Amino acid sequence: MSGAMNLLIGLAMGFSLVALASSRLPSVIRAAALQGMVLGMLPLLLEEKFHWLVVAVAIGTITVKGFIIPNLLRRALRAANIDREVEPLLGFVPSLLLGAAAIIGAAALGSELPLRPEHAKTLLVPGAFATVVCGFILLMARAKAISQVCGYLILENGIYLFGLLLINSTPLLVEAGILLDLTVAVFVIGIIVDRIQREFDTLDTRKLTSLRE
Amino acid sequence: MTPGWLLLIAGGGLVAGIFSARKSPRVWLATTLAGAIAALAAAAGMLASGAIWDWQPGFVIGGEAVHLQLDGISAFFLILLAVLGGAGTLYSSEYWPDTAHPASAPSGRAWWNGLLLNMGGVLLCANGLHFLIAWEIFTVCAYFLITRERQRPEARAAGWLYLASSHVAMVFLFAFFALLAARTGSWELGPMRDHPELAPLFWLALAGFGLKAGIFPLHIWLPSAHANAPSHVSAILSGMAIKMGIYGLVRFTGWMPAPHSAGWVVAALGAISAVLGVAFALGQHDLKRLLAYHSVENIGIILIGLGFAMIAAAHGNATWGHLALAGALLHVWNHGLFKALLFLGAGSVLHATGTREMSRLGGLWRAMPWTASLFALGATAIAGLPPLNGFVSEWLVYLGLFDAVSAHGPASFAAILAAVALGMTGALALACFVKVCGVVFLGRPRAEIAEHVHECGWRMRWPMLALGTACVTIGLAPILFWPALATAAATWQPAPAPILPPVSLVTLGAFHLALAALVILAAVFLWRRVQHNGVTRAGTWDCGYAAPTPRMQYTAGSFAGIITGWFDWILRPQRHAHLPKEAMRARADFAEHTPETVLERFVEPAGLLAIQVSTAVRRLQHGRVQSYIFYLLLGLAALAILAVTGGSK
Repeated sequence: MSGAMNLLIGLAMGFSLVALASSRLPSVIRAAALQGMVLGMLPLLLEEKFHWLVVAVAIGTITVKGFIIPNLLRRALRAANIDREVEPLLGFVPSLLLGAAAIIGAAALGSELPLRPEHAKTLLVPGAFATVVCGFILLMARAKAISQVCGYLILENGIYLFGLLLINSTPLLVEAGILLDLTVAVFVIGIIVDRIQREFDTLDTRKLTSLRE
Repeated sequence: MTPGWLLLIAGGGLVAGIFSARKSPRVWLATTLAGAIAALAAAAGMLASGAIWDWQPGFVIGGEAVHLQLDGISAFFLILLAVLGGAGTLYSSEYWPDTAHPASAPSGRAWWNGLLLNMGGVLLCANGLHFLIAWEIFTVCAYFLITRERQRPEARAAGWLYLASSHVAMVFLFAFFALLAARTGSWELGPMRDHPELAPLFWLALAGFGLKAGIFPLHIWLPSAHANAPSHVSAILSGMAIKMGIYGLVRFTGWMPAPHSAGWVVAALGAISAVLGVAFALGQHDLKRLLAYHSVENIGIILIGLGFAMIAAAHGNATWGHLALAGALLHVWNHGLFKALLFLGAGSVLHATGTREMSRLGGLWRAMPWTASLFALGATAIAGLPPLNGFVSEWLVYLGLFDAVSAHGPASFAAILAAVALGMTGALALACFVKVCGVVFLGRPRAEIAEHVHECGWRMRWPMLALGTACVTIGLAPILFWPALATAAATWQPAPAPILPPVSLVTLGAFHLALAALVILAAVFLWRRVQHNGVTRAGTWDCGYAAPTPRMQYTAGSFAGIITGWFDWILRPQRHAHLPKEAMRARADFAEHTPETVLERFVEPAGLLAIQVSTAVRRLQHGRVQSYIFYLLLGLAALAILAVTGGSK
């Protein structure tokens, strides 16, 4: 069981690196969506016996992260008519190196932390750390608003991974609330993206500096 | 009438004055004066009876129940407020009329009443929160009064400096009252001498009230604010507003336990303020700025008295402490009276000539005999010469200090030093006022503006006359005012025995009376001689010169040159001189300016540094979202490190 789970988490970490390495916006979105779907499957593996609540969480997560949010982003991409290039502030190779360093550091950190025995064997905690840091790198190293949203999504995926540690004690309502927040956030960002595009004729967030007081 | 009703009339009169200030100056004058008289009657009645008026009506402002209290100390200060407020009100009706200042006079009257009302509020409030509210409003009212002539950049700068430093003081007071309320559990004020844990709060009170009082080196706001405000405002600022700081110190040193070193610090600050205040005054060429520095000096004298009273209280209520305190309290009155008189006199000069520059005045005695005589009276009083009131209060402080010396207690050595400082202050103040009176009123006019001047009208003369009379009365019959002093001193900290007047106070009064009689006799004799023999008038400074010109007279700077030379190390005067090196040189010039050393050498560089640092920090706010996220991450990392290292303990 933990082998399959580690495989999925490894996949998710891989998608983080893919997102860091992608030079085109649609592929960044796709990487984030696939990562969300992979992680959405995790609860099914985590629970020993079948439980409708866990299934509901998994299905909800996969739907929202894998389909609804990416669709919102693609629609924003189309509506704002942006060119598909990612504008990196930090080159792809350095970003990838940083991401790799983050994964190694997270693995090292995970082995140091006093975890419970059932979590110690899995990659849950290192995966969560690595994903959060990769999300941060994406947020910091990319100029366009859409790629920042993807960074935000990956960051959230990392936090979700942490949340899985507590899946037994987290009520469904909290999970649903988080998903709803995320959807609304992406929705709002989609609108903002449109506004930024209209105002500045670009999605480069560096132009937002003219908004400071 | 009970004090409550009188205070209600006073408050009502001032509020009515605020509403009538714009439309009807006459109604404003009548209601405000009535209010001042009612307040005077209430305070005098309370002080005479020695009782405490306490009023808790049960309604609530800002979540705290209103609690007003008029005891010995607040009544003592309220009398001064009423006298100076009334005098300033009458004076301003001629000095700052609608005809000359159509824009600033009506609103100025409203701010004036707001100032008086809220200073009274500070004196009456027995609740920390309401104390702070009244304090803040009176501070803001004073700001608007200082900037009456806001078309002048100096007035705006002075107002800004005043507002900034007042709010620094306010921060300290907020901290003080909030901590006091937190530790006692209530905003109610009152005696809390049995809470030794409150003692460290004294330092906050000293900083907050000391900034208001203008203790050296916290006086930076004082000279420019006093110089640039209209003269009746300068009078109330110097006479009363800075005394509010003294009131706070007296009030809370009486109510709260003080740290052991507090009395020493207060006395030391007092001695420094007294000597350096008068040294700075000697270096000034601006009449009102000079008077403002004398406020620093006199605050110093008051603090010497208060400091030694605190030392005495810390060493078991020695009797010399009561003498020092009585001297300090009487000096509060006296300084309020003669400094207001001097500022009103300076205002009269300014009104007539339009300048405060002493180097452009001169020979005003002939044209302005009333102003000149009353100013000279005030100068005699402030220089601490008998038979006037300044001598009485300084003498009480001296008595306290001498008794402290002869008591051979721990304070005797410090008392010698303080007495020396006090003596030096008196001598320097005398020199300074000889300079002022000589340069402004004697000699010949130095500039054309000083030639065609007019005496002020009666509405400016009466207030000065009243203040002058008060100075003379306290000087000639000090024993009459002892009960008030004893009541206030007993309210400060309950004395084990009733506070008796020093035996020599009666002697001093008799001596003053004799001296005054002698002076009058001499004057009458001289007058009769002049009438009998006739008098020929000649040009001033006509002694032997072929063609004397006004430029040959001593200037203010040259008169004080030797003394200011002693204080060059702190005054740091800026001199620009082209002295003649050969005979018959055509051109030579000399200019001297004494800056506000503390402000220009310490506060301004510190402010510039703060601005540079904050401008540098401001570059962090550039609007790049990516970097903001990086800051977040750095902050998180710092927290993590803190948690890890902190957790290992």
